[in-house]
Amino acid sequence: MRVTQSMLSQNMLRNLSSSYNNMGKLQEQLNTGKKVNRPSDDPVVVMKGMGYGMQVNKVEQYQKNMGEVNNWLDSSDDALDGVGQVLHRMKELATNAANTGTMGENERKAIETEMNQLREHVRDLANTKVGDKHIFSGNMTDQPLFNKDTGKFEDGKSFSANVEIEVFDGINLRVSTDVNKMFKEIDDMFGEVEGMIATGEGFSGLITSIDSKLDTVLSKRADIGARSNRAELMKNRLEMQEGAAKKQRSQNEDVNFEKTITDLITAESIHRATLSVGARIMQPSLMDFLR
Amino acid sequence: MRSTFMGLETSKRGLYTQQSALYTTGHNIGNVNTPGYTRQRVNMQATSGFPGIGINAGTMPGFLGTGVETGSIQRIRDSFVDHQFRSESTKLGYWESRTNAIAQMEDAIGEPSEYGLQQSMSDFWQSLQTLASSPENGGARAVVVERGVAVADSFNYIYKSISEVKGNLGDEIDFSAKDINSLLTQIGELNKQIANVEPNGYLPNDLYDARDGLLDQLSSYLPIETSYEKSGGRASAIAEGTVTIKIKTNVPGKTITVVEKDQVAELTVDGNDPNQPFPNLMTGFTFTGGPIQNPADGKLSVNEMVKSGELKSLVDSYGYIDSDGKEKGLYPEMMTKLDKMANEFAKAFNAVHEEGTDLAGVKGEPFFVLPAGATEFSASNIAVNDAIRKDPNKLAASDAKTGAEVGNGQNAKKLGDVFFAKLPGLDGSSVQSYYAQTIGQLGVEGQQALNMTESSGVLLLAVSNRRASISSVSLDEEMTDMIRFQQAYNASARMITVMDETLDKIINGMGTVGR
Repeated sequence: MRVTQSMLSQNMLRNLSSSYNNMGKLQEQLNTGKKVNRPSDDPVVVMKGMGYGMQVNKVEQYQKNMGEVNNWLDSSDDALDGVGQVLHRMKELATNAANTGTMGENERKAIETEMNQLREHVRDLANTKVGDKHIFSGNMTDQPLFNKDTGKFEDGKSFSANVEIEVFDGINLRVSTDVNKMFKEIDDMFGEVEGMIATGEGFSGLITSIDSKLDTVLSKRADIGARSNRAELMKNRLEMQEGAAKKQRSQNEDVNFEKTITDLITAESIHRATLSVGARIMQPSLMDFLR
Repeated sequence: MRSTFMGLETSKRGLYTQQSALYTTGHNIGNVNTPGYTRQRVNMQATSGFPGIGINAGTMPGFLGTGVETGSIQRIRDSFVDHQFRSESTKLGYWESRTNAIAQMEDAIGEPSEYGLQQSMSDFWQSLQTLASSPENGGARAVVVERGVAVADSFNYIYKSISEVKGNLGDEIDFSAKDINSLLTQIGELNKQIANVEPNGYLPNDLYDARDGLLDQLSSYLPIETSYEKSGGRASAIAEGTVTIKIKTNVPGKTITVVEKDQVAELTVDGNDPNQPFPNLMTGFTFTGGPIQNPADGKLSVNEMVKSGELKSLVDSYGYIDSDGKEKGLYPEMMTKLDKMANEFAKAFNAVHEEGTDLAGVKGEPFFVLPAGATEFSASNIAVNDAIRKDPNKLAASDAKTGAEVGNGQNAKKLGDVFFAKLPGLDGSSVQSYYAQTIGQLGVEGQQALNMTESSGVLLLAVSNRRASISSVSLDEEMTDMIRFQQAYNASARMITVMDETLDKIINGMGTVGR
């Protein structure tokens, strides 16, 4: 085959531009850290990548939701712990009063004052707020469970509705605790105590009643504890999911730096070789040897 | 009887002929970098000997050579390779243009990225989840509304970018048609000049080169077939004649003759609505005038076009009205898909939203709204309800049947589920997977186009190298020729000196006996 200068220079230009192209692609990969930057680079990777990306976002969001779950459950537990402490103090007072037998006017006044404070505290606990939410008001988080205007505990259906937060596709955790009845009963009990103090009736009957309320509080806390455990498990699972989803996404679309850098070095030496070979071939012609 | 000065004449012819060869060498060297230039060669031939043949020819014991003359100056070219080159160039024209069109679509859609439609939908979903767990939070509500607006904006933006590119492709079709017309006219003009020159026995090599260059250009637009017609008169045997160009079609036996001698047809673009200016819904092309006698012969519908050449590729990308009245093509189909996706998503989302109740306990309004007069959502018209934008409390996050439940986020959760719900309008896919599929499909087509561009480019390069191997100028070769012709010239000149010395003997040295 007859070979001419124009062929040599054209081939050389083409080789140079293709090796530039190659290096450009590798440079883009190294800069972005991604194997693919447009659908036609690798349609399968891009399509899968969109799925994995959504998966990662989902898990991240569920982890945020999980924070909300913990917030809610911890606050509920703290509040019920407060209720338990109130009941214990009440029991102490009742036991003391029962042991001393008849109470003088002053003692009764003192107990009454403390009981009133405890009752207020329980009502406050029923209205516990986390952020903007009253956590014991069911779906009516903007309204307190104990309505100070009516002096009553709300008992509408919406107030006892379950509040659930999604922690994984289709998996919901109940974060609300159904305590309307319990708070109402405890408050009613305070009402009874008031009557007892007024009439001078003995407190011995009250102790069993307090015990049964303490039981209720404990069982509610046990329920919260059980759900916290589940939340903990779910949290671990989400962490695993996050790791798995990110790994899948990374394997799918991230650049293998060692390999890509090696490729770049190879491409660079090919480019250098192209240049130096070109320079050697293009130069000599018969001209150089004619007088 | 030979003439006294015959030897001088013979050597003079040698001088002239070698000089022509040297001039041609110079022409070749001068054009070494001219695109489309074909190297030329002087065909030397010996002149008829002495005595000539005829009744009055003298008798002599030998047949004396009378030197050399320039028979012809010929282009070194292989028409078979030209044919191959043009057919590969048509293929490359198609795939290069398609690769370009797909790359522009990829740019317009901008996936995968941190700011594409996919990301804005993902953000929207996340905001709905946050709303589900904090429905009483005004911030969460505002974020949902803004993310919803971002989704609508993404749809609008992508649609607008794609329409713009589509418009550019339409302009490109228009421009290509003009370019094709100009090429045809120029070829016709060259045919005319060639037909004027050839009967005189000349070979207009540079006109041939110009015409071949134009044919190469034309072949990247359309699949062509060429044939040649000899000029009459004293045309040389190696004269090429005028070219006849036919456009190949998918219909067996049908070709459209667009150039014949100096007769040239003109190309126009056909739309389905003659009142609309192009670019609009296009149906095909029409060639009129020139060699086309019957107007029906000049019709080239899109279905009849061979899937080759840049023009067909532009049509395939820009879109056309098929014989069944439907609009087809890369861009219109993508726009239809986006419209469908926006419509199905907005409808499903609205349905769930209208089921729920807002912060005041009122049934939800539509979240996405149509502009006045429209009946269907599309990627270009999808927008978030202004009432909700102004008052995010109107977001129906709650699923309470009666009254207001501020802390109820159940409906927000259901709204989030819309992204992953299988929608019958999307052939049973979810919005998420439909979009991923659409992008995947675009990628597959892009990859195919890239591969085809690559392989037809390699083939074209091979053919182009073969053509260059035959026709392009080699400086080494020309330098060798230069030496060759120079030496021959010098030798002829030396012959004249010898003749001079011989004649000097006769003229000045003879008849001087005794002096």
